Amino acid sequence: MPTMKMKQKASRILRNNSLFIKMFLIMVVSIVAVSLLITFSSIRMSSDLFMDTFSISNTKALEQIETRFEDYSFAIVSATNEVQNNGTIKRVLTQENESAIETSKSYHDISRQIERIYPTVESYDTNMIVLGENERLYNMNYSNWPVSWEVLRNHPITKRTVEEPNRLLYQFMPSTSFNDKPMIVATKALMERSTGEIYGVLYFPIREEDWKRLYEGYTSTENEVLLVNQDGKIVSSNKDEMIGDLEPELLKLAQEVETEELDLKEVEFLETNYLLMSQYLPTYDLYLVNLVDKGAVLANLINTKEILLISLGIVLFAVVIVFIISRRMTNSISRLVKQISSMAKHDFNRPIAETGGYEAKKIANAFNSMLSELQEYVDLVVQAQQKQRSAELMALQHQINPHFLYNTLASVKFMVQQGKKEKATDMIHALISLLQNALSNVDQTITVEQEITDLKNYVLINQARYGDGIKVNFFVSPDCLDCQVPKLILQPFIENAFFHAFNEKKEGFVQILISQKRGSLLCEIVDNGDGMELKGDHTKEDMKEKRHLFSGIGIRNVHERIQMIYGGQYGVEISSEKGEGTKVKVELPIQKLDTSVKSNEITSI
Amino acid sequence: MKKVYLMLVLLVGLAVLAACSSGDEEANSGSGSEGSSGTDSITAWAWDPAFNIAALEKAKEAYDGDVEVKIIENAQDDIIQKLNTGLSSGTTKGMPNIVLIEDYRAQSFLQAYPDAFHPLTDVINSDDFADYKIATTSFDGEQYGLPFDSGVAGLYVRTDYLEEAGYTPEDLTDITWDEYIEIGKKVKEATGKNMLTLDPNDLGQIRMMIQTNGSWYVDEDGSTPNLEGNESLAKAFETYKKMMDADIGKIVSDWSQFVGAFNSGDVASVPTGNWITPSIKQAEDQSGKWAVVPMPRLDMEGAVNASNLGGSSWYVLNVDGKEEAADFMLQTFGSNADLYQTLVKDIGALGTYSAAAEGDAYAVEDEFFGGQQLLTDLSTWTDEIPGVNYGLHTYAIEDILVTGMQDYLNGTELATVLENVQSQAEAQLK
Repeated sequence: MPTMKMKQKASRILRNNSLFIKMFLIMVVSIVAVSLLITFSSIRMSSDLFMDTFSISNTKALEQIETRFEDYSFAIVSATNEVQNNGTIKRVLTQENESAIETSKSYHDISRQIERIYPTVESYDTNMIVLGENERLYNMNYSNWPVSWEVLRNHPITKRTVEEPNRLLYQFMPSTSFNDKPMIVATKALMERSTGEIYGVLYFPIREEDWKRLYEGYTSTENEVLLVNQDGKIVSSNKDEMIGDLEPELLKLAQEVETEELDLKEVEFLETNYLLMSQYLPTYDLYLVNLVDKGAVLANLINTKEILLISLGIVLFAVVIVFIISRRMTNSISRLVKQISSMAKHDFNRPIAETGGYEAKKIANAFNSMLSELQEYVDLVVQAQQKQRSAELMALQHQINPHFLYNTLASVKFMVQQGKKEKATDMIHALISLLQNALSNVDQTITVEQEITDLKNYVLINQARYGDGIKVNFFVSPDCLDCQVPKLILQPFIENAFFHAFNEKKEGFVQILISQKRGSLLCEIVDNGDGMELKGDHTKEDMKEKRHLFSGIGIRNVHERIQMIYGGQYGVEISSEKGEGTKVKVELPIQKLDTSVKSNEITSI
Repeated sequence: MKKVYLMLVLLVGLAVLAACSSGDEEANSGSGSEGSSGTDSITAWAWDPAFNIAALEKAKEAYDGDVEVKIIENAQDDIIQKLNTGLSSGTTKGMPNIVLIEDYRAQSFLQAYPDAFHPLTDVINSDDFADYKIATTSFDGEQYGLPFDSGVAGLYVRTDYLEEAGYTPEDLTDITWDEYIEIGKKVKEATGKNMLTLDPNDLGQIRMMIQTNGSWYVDEDGSTPNLEGNESLAKAFETYKKMMDADIGKIVSDWSQFVGAFNSGDVASVPTGNWITPSIKQAEDQSGKWAVVPMPRLDMEGAVNASNLGGSSWYVLNVDGKEEAADFMLQTFGSNADLYQTLVKDIGALGTYSAAAEGDAYAVEDEFFGGQQLLTDLSTWTDEIPGVNYGLHTYAIEDILVTGMQDYLNGTELATVLENVQSQAEAQLK
């Protein structure tokens, strides 16, 4: 049971708030959709834009790195040329079988020459080694490659150099032990041009960590620079752990970019998305590769989390505002709806509250003015109907039955003929008084006292005509005498009793009792005649014998008339039993007029 | 109702602002710590991972203070360059607390940047260290350096070659250079081996010779070149030429050839600083064939059989944390005899802390050198080294002398050569 209740409650709340829920949901969905779209498109646009500018600046950086490598290469080439063209060096390296003093001098001389040339490359922290036959070795910076003559003479890089004596080679030397570090060695064979005889080898070893200073300033963890040789070996990189690795795939990508003359290419390498830029360095026979980790760069530069948080904040803010505003709007509208739907309960006469937003107020206002106009029309209609009804009643009232007049006058004629002058006078008198009252305005009320007078006159006329087998008694409480009642309100019941209650019994009585009871005026017409069977309805069916009627108003109309004048709680109640008689109760409000008004009314007749 | 809306707007606005600015705050908080003095950690610079860096590590182990010691390896040339640029610009940023400086260069730093170093006069007792070190590590009456390794020189000889020529190590003990040359000739005759290596671009040989007589390239003041009329230098030049004329020297041009020569058994002796011991021992097959005798002296009045080559000392820079650095120095190299035992045992580094020589590690008999108590001997000779002020210009003058020597070897009169180098040096170093 409670779940049922809850369900009902919930569905009622849903129904009551359906407008709000619909509106709010639509708004929320659109706000969220719009913010999501804007957020993502702005993130995408800014990242695209950033990548564009980034690649432009990186291309520039790459060009600068290239320039620096060219500078380095130029320094090496100048130093090489100087050594090659230096006669002293050549002489010392080619001399043989000298005395100690001569050797000492040549060593001194060559050292001076090499020392003079060395500063050309010294600023790069490059060592310079000259190797000659007969254990001649001149190592300018012993700590940078402490190699002995014998080792160097038989070193693979020396062999390669001698094989290609005309080329300046850049050779990679991986780290071979814990102490030494990877090196890039520029080598050149020293050759006597005329004879083609190689008299020495020149080395420019530079530690990879020193060499990378040429480009290190342009790099970061997301922006890697690698130098790859033709074997795909990584000769130098700002990523130390990659130095010496073989990456033929990377070489292939770099070659593609270079041959297709692309600015950059998006590649996947080592399971990461990179932007790859590449530049071939012909002097080194190396590919200068720039890898930009797209994800990491974007993550650093576009704070997606922050943007999402901001949009979330905006969405929340908008939703709260929308909630409050739509709540306010729909609240006033649903309040209106609620008031309007309960309008019928209040007979369309209670104006609705003009609250809420501008629109709601306007609607309520329009509704109220419509309502009041409607009310006016309804009143007019009711008034018109009342007028019509009273006109009808008046017409009926004014229709004093000609038979009644004929019969009465005929009775008077007989009385005169019989010489019952007094009785005839009384009868004429009663008729006059009755007619006088009956013919005046039907709307007007008269006092109980006058009504009783009229009734007495009527009874007099009837008894004169039909004999006094039916006795009529009046019991009127004195405090009721000046109460106002509609004219001829009780007459139809007396008439009814005269003509219908005593068809079988020829004698009986009719009692009229008027008193105040429970704040209303109670008139009872009780007879002990034949009685009748009531057919459901508590107003008795009219007997249609208009012939006997005094006026057009039958008992059928009385109840209607009372209710029309005084409202629903008043009216006529009939109870009857076959052979026992009939009892009619007429309940009316207690109304009293000022004497002046009353006299006024009387005079106006 | 209006107020509520306003509050809401403000709240959301604040939240958004807070979200935006949170990143900056973190960045700001990091920069504050830069200015605080580095009293919780000190840095030390040295250059040789097998020698002085290793010694620093041992010192760090022996040290039980609260301060963290960061040891940074730099090439010696880099240290000199960084010190020069740093100290001349007057900034202490990036400067170490402790730095190792070669003795030949020490004076030039002490003179050029007198306020840059923290005096250790009151921290260490200079009497605890070998006398000859004090002159080079002090300046203007203040002790700045804490003497570290001894450059005490010895004559490393191949006993087997000597024997072949009919000599024993005793025959080479306490001799003059002239006697040495005579023996050298005999040895070459007998074995075909050269007596020693000579590098025409490195006059360490000359330096060792003149210090036996308490002389140097400069005067006592440390800056005036003392070449022309320097009898010791003239004698050394003559001796050097004699060696060349006698053809007992193998000419080498670099370190690898120098080491290669004795490792391959090409020379019968190596007159040099004791720091060569590990290199000598590299040739394990020569174990028992070596002995070390005192350095030959110049054949002059007053010359002794003891000399020095190289050697370095610790200096504390006058930067934040100098007290902590000085304390670290005192607790380790300044007073810890046990540390020196560890140094000779584990690294073979011979210090100049006199008290250390009494330790057991010094008395060890070295089988490589035929059971000689090498460290004890070296320590003994250390105390005899004549103290000289190396002054400011050792290497600058030597550059000039190298060329002068060639001129002399090739026939120029010695007096003329010395006159020339004197005037060159004066012109250059003015």
